[in-house]
Amino acid sequence: MSKMLEVSNLKKYFKTPSGMLHAVDDVSFDIEKGQTLGVVGESGCGKSTLGRTIMRLHAPTSGRVIFDGKESGSFKESAAEIKEHHKNMQMIFQDPYSSLNPRMSVSEIIAEPLINYHMYKNKEELWRQVYELMDTVGLARRLANAYPHELDGGRRQRIGVARALAVNPKFIVCDEPVSALDVSIQAQILNLMQDLQQQRSLTYMFITHNMSVVKHISDEIIVMYLGTVVECASSDDIFKDRLHPYTKALLDAIPVAEINNNRKERTLLKGEISSPINPKPGCRFAVRCPYAEEKCYNFTPELREVLPHHRVTCHYAEKINHLSVNHRED
Amino acid sequence: MKDNNIPLKKKSQFKDIVKRFLKDKVAVLSLIFIVFLVFCALFPNVVAPYEYDKYDMAHAFSPVSFEHFFGTDNYGRDIFSRVVYGARISLGIGLVAVISSCFVGIILGAIAGYYSDRIDNIIMRLMDIMLAIPSILLMMAIVTALGNSTLNLTIAIAVSNVPGYARIVRASVMTEKGKEYIEAAKSVGSSDFKIIMRHILPNCMAPIIVQATMSIATSILSIAALSFVGLGITPPTPEWGSMLNDAQSFMRDHYHVVLFPGLMIMLTVFAFNLLGDGLRDALDPKLKN
Repeated sequence: MSKMLEVSNLKKYFKTPSGMLHAVDDVSFDIEKGQTLGVVGESGCGKSTLGRTIMRLHAPTSGRVIFDGKESGSFKESAAEIKEHHKNMQMIFQDPYSSLNPRMSVSEIIAEPLINYHMYKNKEELWRQVYELMDTVGLARRLANAYPHELDGGRRQRIGVARALAVNPKFIVCDEPVSALDVSIQAQILNLMQDLQQQRSLTYMFITHNMSVVKHISDEIIVMYLGTVVECASSDDIFKDRLHPYTKALLDAIPVAEINNNRKERTLLKGEISSPINPKPGCRFAVRCPYAEEKCYNFTPELREVLPHHRVTCHYAEKINHLSVNHRED
Repeated sequence: MKDNNIPLKKKSQFKDIVKRFLKDKVAVLSLIFIVFLVFCALFPNVVAPYEYDKYDMAHAFSPVSFEHFFGTDNYGRDIFSRVVYGARISLGIGLVAVISSCFVGIILGAIAGYYSDRIDNIIMRLMDIMLAIPSILLMMAIVTALGNSTLNLTIAIAVSNVPGYARIVRASVMTEKGKEYIEAAKSVGSSDFKIIMRHILPNCMAPIIVQATMSIATSILSIAALSFVGLGITPPTPEWGSMLNDAQSFMRDHYHVVLFPGLMIMLTVFAFNLLGDGLRDALDPKLKN
């Protein structure tokens, strides 16, 4: 299998009045063609910025992005090059309310990418394509002239999906596409997205903070904390052996519907996420980490392979996991 | 496959807007009044019973009667006829000035708001300088520099109105710019021009329309002010504002000399405000019902 996207040492800093905000700091990962990469982490950890940077809605500060074998090197592309880039890469946005222009009808929204990329010969063909896209995402054709405010969240998100599909992209960045929806509708949209992935062999980068969603949809998962990747492995591996203390806490926070809740050990986090503005060297998670030692405060850990295909950013990953295995046994 | 029978046609947005506008009775009434005023401005000789400069000293200050609907002024001129002829100047200059300043202001404001940083700073500091000069002084300076004519008067009023629009447009463009649908438009390959024209500006219409209708009122009054200092319309050409000014000294004894020109200004402004409100609502698809 070949890679759809290879990201290495990607950085995105924002200038703020109080200093440089390290939104995405030295992030590397890759996505195989036809797979789904889940990006998880709490609010403000930079997962949306990562998605937007890959989409080139933000210009990266530094790093390398190789998309479908082509490297976007300098990050100083012209508007036309970025437009070309978006032909293969699209995005589904988080908020189906604010991501649709309130003054445009459903058909106008879906037709916009088709018009921008001149993907039709005449008016009739344009309309046929719009209707086909509406059929694909399960929107009734009678809604073509409706406005977004007349529709519910699920239908709005279907419009967002149709708009992203219009240019026939290979890769879609999904920025929390279901977090603004009701649970019942979340399932509909997720199933729709999975069906589309199979039909069109799409590759997804799925950004979310919802662990059950990510478990359901992803092949690979990266866990982010304060702009850095803390753990990176296949979905099964992460849910089986969580190696980083932050991942442990994150997964332990999933509520379980169980009457005899006999989960013995839960890692609970104290304190708050520290400031991403001019962060100190050392492990970003050290201040909240129950296992933190001297070294964690002084040296920044590297992402390294601890188990096969399972990479962690922690100095003491082996030690901690050895400990917790013992702990579980007694 | 019943669904396939839906015609491959787009429902016209314009028809929707007209339909919504017609539901607003007050706005329709205002439109009728404004259309009538425009008719007066274009064909005053059809509506007015007398010439605007027909002196008749014997009948100075005649009260309201069937002969003179609005009475006569200190020279015995028919006020109704003068009001009708005055529509040409007041409405003409007012509308042209507002439309042109609106146009320039939207362009400047949209560029400043969308591109921010350097361009924004340059444009907005320029606008601030213009705002710092009292508008009447600015208009006087422009008219004096360019020479006294109707066109130059229009230019002066338009120029002094531009900063107001630029500021309002910039502020609303900046709010709209941050919304997610702009990012979405960027990611489906829309150019900056298309994003501004198709996405941002339609969503900034409400404050622009309000500002436009308000500045029609101030423009009519500005003409009067400039006429008062001798830089606007020269007598005997009738113009509502200068009619008010001329009549000031007689208003204690003869109410009608100030009442009718004043009433016309008020009604016109009122009609434009209501029309603007109606237009704003008609253009907003969210207020469909």
